[in-house]
Amino acid sequence: MAIRELKVCLLGDTGVGKSSIVCRFVQDHFDHNISPTIGASFLTKTVPCGNELHKFLIWDTAGQERFHSLAPMYYRGSAAAVIVYDITKLDSFQTLKKWVKELKEHGPEDIVVAIAGNKNDLGDIREVPTKEAKEFAESIAAIFIETSARNAVNVEELFQKISRQIPPLENAEVDSNESFKITRPPPASSRRCC
Amino acid sequence: MQHSSSDTKMAADALVQPCQMDRSGSFFKLIDTFSTEISELKQEMVQTAREPDTKLLQGLEGEVSGLFLQSSVCTGAVGVRDSGYDSLRRRMSVLDRLTHTHSVWLLLSLSDEDAKCILQPQPPGTFLVRRSSKLQKKVISLRMDDSTPVTMRDFPVKESQYTFSLEGSGISFADLFRLVAFCCISRDVLPFTLKLPEAISVAKTPSDLEEVAKLGIGFWESDLCHKRRSSVSARTAQDNTQQKLKQKSQETSPKEEVHPILCTRSPSQLEFSQSNGALCFINPLFLQTHRSDTAQTSVTPDDKTPLPDSISPFPQGTSSTSPQNSGSILRRNSNTKYTTNSRAKSASRSPPPRPPPPRTVPHRPVPPRKQNSMPSAVVSWIKTPQEKSGLLGRLGSSFSSFSPPSSPPKKISSPIPTPSSHPKRTPSQPDAEVHRCHLALEDQTIEEAVSFSLAKLSLRNTALEDGSGSPAGRERLSDISISSTSSDSLDFNHSFLLPAAGTSPSRTGRAVGDSSPEEEEEEDEDYGVSVESDQESMEPPFKSKKRHSTGAFVLRRALKGHLRKVSGVFNSLMTPEKRAIRRISEQSRDKNTYFGCLVQDYVSFLQENRGCHTSGLDLLQTLRQFMTQMKSYLLQSSELDPPIESLIPEDQIDQVLEKAMHKCILKPLKPVVEAALHDFQVRSGTWQQLKENLALAKTKQPAEMGVDGAMPPDPVAIEKIRHKFHNMSKMYSPEKKVSLLLRVCKLIYTIMEDNSGRMYGADDFLPMLTYVLAQCDMPQLDTEIQYMMELLDPSLLHGEGGYYLTSAYGAMSLIKNFQEEQAARVLSSETRNTLHQWHRRRTAQRTVPSVDDFQNYLRVALQEPGSGCTAKTLQVRPYATTEEVCHICAEKFKVSDPDSHALFLLTEETTQQLAPDTHPQKIKAELHSRPQVQPFYFVYRRIQNLNLTVPTDQLNGNSVPKCA
Repeated sequence: MAIRELKVCLLGDTGVGKSSIVCRFVQDHFDHNISPTIGASFLTKTVPCGNELHKFLIWDTAGQERFHSLAPMYYRGSAAAVIVYDITKLDSFQTLKKWVKELKEHGPEDIVVAIAGNKNDLGDIREVPTKEAKEFAESIAAIFIETSARNAVNVEELFQKISRQIPPLENAEVDSNESFKITRPPPASSRRCC
Repeated sequence: MQHSSSDTKMAADALVQPCQMDRSGSFFKLIDTFSTEISELKQEMVQTAREPDTKLLQGLEGEVSGLFLQSSVCTGAVGVRDSGYDSLRRRMSVLDRLTHTHSVWLLLSLSDEDAKCILQPQPPGTFLVRRSSKLQKKVISLRMDDSTPVTMRDFPVKESQYTFSLEGSGISFADLFRLVAFCCISRDVLPFTLKLPEAISVAKTPSDLEEVAKLGIGFWESDLCHKRRSSVSARTAQDNTQQKLKQKSQETSPKEEVHPILCTRSPSQLEFSQSNGALCFINPLFLQTHRSDTAQTSVTPDDKTPLPDSISPFPQGTSSTSPQNSGSILRRNSNTKYTTNSRAKSASRSPPPRPPPPRTVPHRPVPPRKQNSMPSAVVSWIKTPQEKSGLLGRLGSSFSSFSPPSSPPKKISSPIPTPSSHPKRTPSQPDAEVHRCHLALEDQTIEEAVSFSLAKLSLRNTALEDGSGSPAGRERLSDISISSTSSDSLDFNHSFLLPAAGTSPSRTGRAVGDSSPEEEEEEDEDYGVSVESDQESMEPPFKSKKRHSTGAFVLRRALKGHLRKVSGVFNSLMTPEKRAIRRISEQSRDKNTYFGCLVQDYVSFLQENRGCHTSGLDLLQTLRQFMTQMKSYLLQSSELDPPIESLIPEDQIDQVLEKAMHKCILKPLKPVVEAALHDFQVRSGTWQQLKENLALAKTKQPAEMGVDGAMPPDPVAIEKIRHKFHNMSKMYSPEKKVSLLLRVCKLIYTIMEDNSGRMYGADDFLPMLTYVLAQCDMPQLDTEIQYMMELLDPSLLHGEGGYYLTSAYGAMSLIKNFQEEQAARVLSSETRNTLHQWHRRRTAQRTVPSVDDFQNYLRVALQEPGSGCTAKTLQVRPYATTEEVCHICAEKFKVSDPDSHALFLLTEETTQQLAPDTHPQKIKAELHSRPQVQPFYFVYRRIQNLNLTVPTDQLNGNSVPKCA
């Protein structure tokens, strides 16, 4: 099976649970075949998708305002961006909108955007209505899901949705800027990407 | 050691009958085989004249020399009583022959049809190696025999991480040559063994092979190919018949002399062509593994080889030899049914010869061979003996550990005189390097096997003692250490034993393959000061000392079981990569090659003219570009001989080339680049600013750097990190630098997590990294990071190394602009702009951007109807509006009526006037960040004029049109 490396960038305010989501995603069903990374800011996980394997290279970003200017470096070249907000903090949803805008302006053209409303388990102090967030996501054709990293709710699903939105390799036009290694099934053409 | 001529006559060609064996057990069987052989060898060596024992030697020789197919047409025709030089020259193994002539059979780009065309007229067994476009794999295309419906079949080659193997076979090889050489001897999963074209298999000298090789694919059409075959057509026919008869035929062929018969090799010859020395030992493996296959395919050691420099040819396959062989075979494999001599089969199968006893040592003084001026030549000179230590050499050393009194002198003696007549040793020949390569797998195997068999041997000695009448175990062992390693020449004795004593014990513990001391150093876990020093000489004394001391434990270790052996084998599989890298870097120093010229010229140019670059960035990008170009040159040109595809599995090639580039380009240039980067920083004032900001940042508390909650490293830890950074700056390889950066990051994580037990994401890590970098107060880190970012293999940029490099760069730029940060946010937009640019460049791999691609510069052209175009690079702040830019333009271009001018953005199709409140830098950044950057230009001109034509041949995105 072909392995594709997909860079995924995590954006969102500090404290919304970006790394918790990824830690949950990576640590559940721990795969011993994957060499562990040195820390939680950069994590990888390989999931099967169709006849391919998607290896997510997950780049976490610092959510503080002072690091905002570094974000382009992190999302550049990403196949997908997960923008996380905290359903109990309206501010974090406003920040999310800014990120969406920035990605539209400066992000990679075909980037898959996923919006994750985290802390779904704290429904009683919710500040961002599901409906509003969902409508916003639809308006920008983004994936939308509410998650709970703490209870492991919808975390797997989030990445499955992303996986499904990644165009299969055969259809993808020359996209050699993306970094994926191809160990191709026999009949395909032998384009090698870096 | 003395051998009667009857010894040499002994045929080792007992046919090994198939027996059912589990392939998985083959490794262990191999060990058993070795142990039997050792005892056989021992007996043979000690009791030279004893008939019952000599037969055992035959068996051993047959196996040990597995791949030394030697043509003996010459022996038969030319006469055996040559001077001794001829016989030396003639000694080429299958591997040699394959390596010399790969241009004939290694035709990677050959299509199915063309392969068929070539193979159709050839005899069965003829083969080509090519890359099947259908399978997207390398295949061995084999001419089938007439009993099968197809004329040609493709057998795919599996390339796993470091090895080549046939699909369906469990036996892997370090490179394609070894795989093919093996298949020439053993069919493994093939229907029969591969057969070298006659012209290759009977060639007497490397120059004969060169002649063949020169023809390349044309060989198959050439007279050389056809003449050979027609001249021996009678024989071929006979072979075919014999093939059908298979091992049933026991009669001796009257034409024996015509067949390629095998020259035996004395241990000295094993020495001199060390690259083969190891390979021959694989033979027992397949003897065991494939015995289960039809007898037709098993390899029969053929014995017809006269000793190199003396004995007259004698009739082959005499009835007297067969029983003896059978004896040995039976002894080796109690469950093996054996049939005697299958001359017919062996003749058509290029059977392995045996090494003769070391009686034919050339002990005349030999003129030292030419040395080229490269340091590597010295290495090879000195290292050669080590690599060459074959089984016998090892035996010598292993055995000598039992019997100190008789062990050879251990002090280092002068390099071994190599016979100048031996063509392979001429350093100027390209294949000299090839021969230096050898496979650690085999060495390792041998080493383990020898150790293991020693254990068995000591047990067996007791049992054998009265029956055989041979001397007691210990005495025998000591005898062997002398007799197997020395004959009548003292020189030889030294050359033989020295390496063995030095290397053999260490092989068991540490699979070093053929890596040079320097490379070993580089792999070292301890990235100390000496790590990348040019240690191109002998190993330091302490090393060999260590090895000597381990010698005593060979026996104990040998008993540790099979698992260890297997893992040892895997370790040693790392070697081919190093071999390839070393070859490339040797070639890079050889100005006789185009590649060598390019590299050397570039290196010396940069050393002398580092000032020609406009900035450090410019320098690094040119360097990166050069490395990338050299990589693709090596891939596309045929200058690498053998082609790298034959040494390295396809998915590894890029990595290996990258490492090789680091070694041959970055290593010599590192000091220059470092100094140049520093100069640029000092000149631009960045250095001063950086130092000030670092000093300021250092005074800040963790919280002020954005650290929230996590525990910062204490001064001791900071000191440790500084030390790691110091080591990092000593590396030339960006990859190794990055791996040290990763260690620093790991350490930071560990400290954070130790104090809290929770996992930290970027929200916590990046501020902490910034704090740590500030505390380290090492302004030189800035250029280090620049070096890594610009030179790292682009394919690594998305991985973990790329992530932390990005983080370090980000943290560093925050520190660099620490003062300004609080005041305004200009910095961050600046940084951001830079980052945009950087990532676009590195991921798009476009041509080198010019300075105006970056930061605060904007190149604007003035177009005036009268005077054509003038372009200027203006300093424009990232958030400057078009209106402001227009002001600057008016000033710079000295435009008298600024009101009638405006700033336009030109692309290939469109011209648009920019509104006064837009931001040209932002527009530029956006254009640059598009996946396919089209050429675009900022033009300052009169509003009415719309007739500007823009040439589209600009490579650089925002460069200015050249106006006539």
